[in-house]
Amino acid sequence: MTHPDVQAQVDAYLDGELAAMEAAELETHLAGCVSCGRFRDDRLALRAAIAAQIPRAQAPEALRQRVRAALRQASAPSRARRPAAPMVWRGLALAASLAVVAVGSWRLAAEHTASEILTDEVLASHVRSLMPGHLSDVVSSDQHTVKPWFNGKLDFSPPVHDFAGRGYPLLGGRLDYLNGRPVAALVYGRRQHLINVFLWPAAGRSGGEAPLLRQGYHLLHWTTPEYAYWVASDLGLSELTDFARLLQLGDSAASASER
Amino acid sequence: MEPPELERFEAVVLPHLSAAYRLARYLTQNDSDADDVVQEAFLRALKYFGGFRGEGAGQSRAWLLAIVRNMAHTWRRRLHIGSSTTEFDETVHSEAIADEDPGSALSRSDLRETLAEVLDRLPPEFREVIVLREIEGLSYKEISEVADVPVGTVMSRLSRARKRLQEALSASDGER
Repeated sequence: MTHPDVQAQVDAYLDGELAAMEAAELETHLAGCVSCGRFRDDRLALRAAIAAQIPRAQAPEALRQRVRAALRQASAPSRARRPAAPMVWRGLALAASLAVVAVGSWRLAAEHTASEILTDEVLASHVRSLMPGHLSDVVSSDQHTVKPWFNGKLDFSPPVHDFAGRGYPLLGGRLDYLNGRPVAALVYGRRQHLINVFLWPAAGRSGGEAPLLRQGYHLLHWTTPEYAYWVASDLGLSELTDFARLLQLGDSAASASER
Repeated sequence: MEPPELERFEAVVLPHLSAAYRLARYLTQNDSDADDVVQEAFLRALKYFGGFRGEGAGQSRAWLLAIVRNMAHTWRRRLHIGSSTTEFDETVHSEAIADEDPGSALSRSDLRETLAEVLDRLPPEFREVIVLREIEGLSYKEISEVADVPVGTVMSRLSRARKRLQEALSASDGER
């Protein structure tokens, strides 16, 4: 028997999709677990077999010439009418609309800026954290347990508050890696929903940005004078905004009392 | 479109012709249909190239493959050719794959199925993630953009498809 949640990680690991810290965790497990180690070896053998047995054909030269000719004809300034499409393509007028959808969503994806990349990282961290066994390194609803746990693991001591009284209990915390640095991840619950709060020190002006919706998850981002915050959850936007407000109040209260 | 634009298109998109051809072939399972899909995909890509804002070979490749993939799936639906006549259903097909029991694995080993044959028999939604990952080397995020599904779905489809391929590989190893 292998550990099913580890298997999912092994695939992501071999595909180069695990963050460095998760990869290190997994390697530790693989070194000590015979069955999971065997699962990895099988996957490596499969990878090699696919590379050896699945054909990787190059496009025939005739196709290249045909495509180039079609492209020249389509972009000719004279706009000579293209010959009637082959039968099978008559029905493909509909495909145009599908392609437009693909192009439309691509355009968004392609305009990547640094903040887009960070958004993707936050989303990926949130999704990974939902995989079994990856949510919390320290499981506690006690802010006085969670906060000290970060000591020695981070170069800052994140503000940690429990909002159980408001229906958002603190569930735990873990280390994560975002924006090229280790960050604190705090996990809160709301009914069956989970909320990840990522924060790290950032010298910047206070401010918030418009909520984002990615792959069914809401992402909120704001900065305080001390910290950059990201919040990710499948919770509805209005509740998540309420939660963000609690966090902002908690943080500014903490800052005030520390001064 | 001005000729310099066509030159830019040929420089940016045409290098991915073979990747487009492979994906089209694995999805249509027919050489001449694959040629048609590729040609139409390139014409479509040329038409929308003005709106493409990606940078780097990876992005232009994924952008083109998304168009090829849409073309191939539309082609399949139109001609009612494919591994099934019903619309793809994640649950039904996933379970169908997962549920293939050792008994059928035995009969498969009698047939000495090659990996390529197993791949051909996978539902297209599973076949494409394997092709995009194992042959084209796309990242999960790029695959999710090409196949228009969340990254989590990419991961679960990859995992199920690999499970099936792994069984075939073990069966053929067992024979030697």
